[in-house]
This record gives sequence, C-alpha cells and structure tokens, in this order.
Amino acid sequence: MSSTALQPPAIRPGASPSPFAPLAGVLLRGARGLAILLAVLVAAEGLIVLFGVKPWYVPRPSLVIGAILATPEPYVQGFLRTLTETLMGFVSGALFGIATGVVFFRAKVLKELIFPIFVVSQTIPVIAFGALVVLWFGNTLIAKAAISFYLTFFPVTVNTLLGLESVDPRQEALLRSFGAGRFQLLRRLQLPAALPQIFVALRLASALSLVGAIVGEWFGDTVGLGVLLLQGMYNENVVAIWAAIAMCALLGTGFYAVVAAAERALVFWGAEQ
Amino acid sequence: MSARFHPSRATQRGILGMVLLVAVWEGVARGFALPAYTLPSVSAILGSIWDHRQVLLAAGAYTFAEAVVGYVLGALIGIVLAVVITLVPMTRNAIVPVATSINSVPVVAWSPLILLWFGIGMPSKFVMVALAVSFTVFVSALAGLDRVDRRSVDLMRSFGAGRLAILFRLRLPTALPLIAAGLRVSTVRAIIVAIVTEMLGAYDGLGWVIYQAVLQVDFVKVWSAIFVASAASLLFFGLVGFAEKRLVFWK
Repeated sequence: MSSTALQPPAIRPGASPSPFAPLAGVLLRGARGLAILLAVLVAAEGLIVLFGVKPWYVPRPSLVIGAILATPEPYVQGFLRTLTETLMGFVSGALFGIATGVVFFRAKVLKELIFPIFVVSQTIPVIAFGALVVLWFGNTLIAKAAISFYLTFFPVTVNTLLGLESVDPRQEALLRSFGAGRFQLLRRLQLPAALPQIFVALRLASALSLVGAIVGEWFGDTVGLGVLLLQGMYNENVVAIWAAIAMCALLGTGFYAVVAAAERALVFWGAEQ
Repeated sequence: MSARFHPSRATQRGILGMVLLVAVWEGVARGFALPAYTLPSVSAILGSIWDHRQVLLAAGAYTFAEAVVGYVLGALIGIVLAVVITLVPMTRNAIVPVATSINSVPVVAWSPLILLWFGIGMPSKFVMVALAVSFTVFVSALAGLDRVDRRSVDLMRSFGAGRLAILFRLRLPTALPLIAAGLRVSTVRAIIVAIVTEMLGAYDGLGWVIYQAVLQVDFVKVWSAIFVASAASLLFFGLVGFAEKRLVFWK
C-alpha cells in the first residue's frame, strides 16, 4: 500500500502496484500487514517500558487495547456510526463530484461561472460550516453527512474534469466517425479514460470524508468516534484519546484500502505513467 | 485553479458567477425574509463585518500568525525529511512508514491530544498546522526529488559531482515545481486546521470568535467570521502562488 499511499497531491493517475491482484495475493498482503502491525506494537510496548515514557504522552499499546476491550460498546457503536456518516458523505460527494465534472466538461460557460465559487467554497473552514449545517439539519446523520459531503466533492470534481479533458481527441474523432452519440462517447470512451484520475481523487476523498464525519460529531452528538475524542479530551484521559485515535486510524485505513482495491479491480489496465 | 486557459474571458465569467451568487443570495435572504439563523443576507454580513471590524481583524491576524508559523515549520520538516531520504537512501524504510502511519489518522483526530500536550495557547496550533502541512509537502517533495532522470544523475556523477552537488544543482531545481505545488495546496489547509483547533480550545482567533458566536446564537457574526476566514485563506493562497510564480519562473 505504501506506493499508493504516497501519491503526490499533484493530480495524476497513481501507479497501482499490480494490474491484477488475485485473492491469494490480497490475503498474503493482509497477513503480512497484520504481522508488521503486531511487531510494531510489541516494539512500541518495549520501547515505552524501556524509556519509561509517561502514559500522559504515549500510553503502552496494551493499555490502549485493554481500554477498548474493557468497554468495547462505545467504540464499536462509535465506529459504526462514524462509518455510516463517512459512507453517506463519500458516496454523495463522489457522485456530485463526478456529475459536476461531467457538466463542467460539457458546458464551459457553467464551468467558468461556477468553478470559482467551488474554489472559494473550499476556503470556508469546515468547522464553521459545521455549526451552520447542524443548525439547518438538526443534530442528525444528515448534518454529519453534509459536512462530509462538503469536504469530499471538490477533489472529485477537479479530477473528473482533468481526466475528461485529457482524453485523446483522435479517439473521440474515431468514435464519432462510427456514429457514436454524445452519451455513448461519454460512457464508452471519456469516463473510462478519466477513471484513473477519478480514483486518485476518490482515494483522497476517502480520507477527507472521514475528517468531515469526525468534525461533524463535535457539535453535541452522543455516539461516534469524534465524540469519543472529545470526551477523552474533556476528561484528560489520554488512554481514551489514543483508543479513539486507533479506531479512527482503523476506519481510515480500512476505507482507504477498500477504495484502493476497487481501483485495482476497476482500473485493471493500470495507470500508464 | 485550472481555469487559466482563457484568462480574460474566464476571469470575467468567474467574477460574473460571484456577482450572480451574491445577487441570488441577497435576493433569497431578503425575498423570503429568512431568519438570520437560516441565512442572513450578504449586506447584513458585510455590515456585521464592519461593525466588528476590530475584533475580526485582531482574530484574523491571530489565526493568520498561527497558520503561517505552523506552515513554515511543517514545510521545513517535510522538505528536510525528503532531502534526508534522498541523501541517505537507507532512511527511506524508516521515515516513510512512520510518516504514513501518522498520516493514516485523520489530522483532526490528533487535535484533542495536541491540545492536552501543548495547552490551548498558540503552540498547540503551530503543532497541528505543522502536522497537517508537513505530510503533503513531504510527499510532493519526495515525488519531485525521485522524479529526476537517472541519466542526468549518472552524467553529473561521471563529471565527479558529489551527492550534495547533485542535490543542489539537479534534484532540488527539478523538484521545485512539485514542491511549490504542495506548498500552494497546503495554504488553505493550514488556515482551516488552525481554526478547527481553535474551536476546541483557544484564547483568541477566528475559530474562537466563531465558537463564541455560536454560543451566543449570533449567526450573522458566525457568517462574518467565515467571510474573514475565507478572505485570509485566499490571501495566503495568493501570496504563496505569487511567490511560486516568481521562484519557479521557468514553468
């Protein structure tokens, strides 16, 4: 995963490690990742004991895992709740992003009119926006999903547009000469050609949608990983904060891995670099 | 960002779009007599900015200072780490996994911990902004430094150039456009992360103003702080973009 995780923010298709990953390979990689994680945790445990790091800074991994296992319920519930919000924001943001990308590609006037507004909208601090959204939608799932959506759609719009604009005009001319209509052209050539770019944005968006969900929960919810983070801070309970951070990392990494796997399956021809 | 193909027309349309947005906003807010907590009119927000100009200016300057200091710290960390990896390739296997795992936690999830460690003054915001900026800059710097053509390196080496000479004469200039792009992208992020952290705990700053205004149910003030924050982000973005054009003049 390291090669896909380390994409530059500069927008270009990423190099997937392998064009086609059979199930065995996925399992093997998963097992290896797990083994490395275990080794790192054991090493961290040893180092923390050895150097006598105060739990106030970094508690031993066993303490953190113990805290989660002692009261698993809020963590499991929080995980599921935050996952739901993230997914809602991600899916709606991705669909909106692709749709606006296609519309901007088709109608340059709309692009020139609206795109600058999109850019400016991204300078609004999400948390301030969050205060308003919670007011509009109440303290509901929709409010969190809306914040998550707001963080997600922009990179998808940008990359969809870039991907569509970089389609070879000769291929378009060829398809058109065969009598392809605008819709067919879009479905058969332009969208598939833009797919690698779109997936770069989707991987980025997977992380952003999680941020949106976490921040959204800071406006007085009772369930969720963001809530657990805040509770840990107010109680000055560093072990609880680390436990929540670990759950966030688990959710973020898992979601990222799913999106990356979908990319490998759908963009099987790989990114031509 | 990418709408530079027909500068004059695109800019005209962009401004037209903004004007239309403001007009529709003002019309909807006034026409339907929407309450302030739903959507205040633009004119009301601008009036509120003028009324609270001293508070907002001070808060904006406070946040801007936090963002800039954290940004410079983060950018330095990112670039230095990438350069270290280039000079001592062995360190790559240590630095990249650590950086990736720190980054696998959404940046805002660190803020409660950072606030507990560094207190609710400015230092916690420096750390948060640096954390948010350093990874982006690190990734783009590393990608830029790696991008160098092997044959050019071999050529310089055959002339007897050492690692440092190759770094300064070849790798850094080649990497500069990508580094600059990473720096530009990070500007908006820096301001936003500073504000997000302020809302969890601060003595001053735009995030603090927004938080107070939410508590006082003064939504016109929330909006005016949002406008100021947006302006600060655009200003920062513009400054770095300007510096980039000067510095990466060959692009």
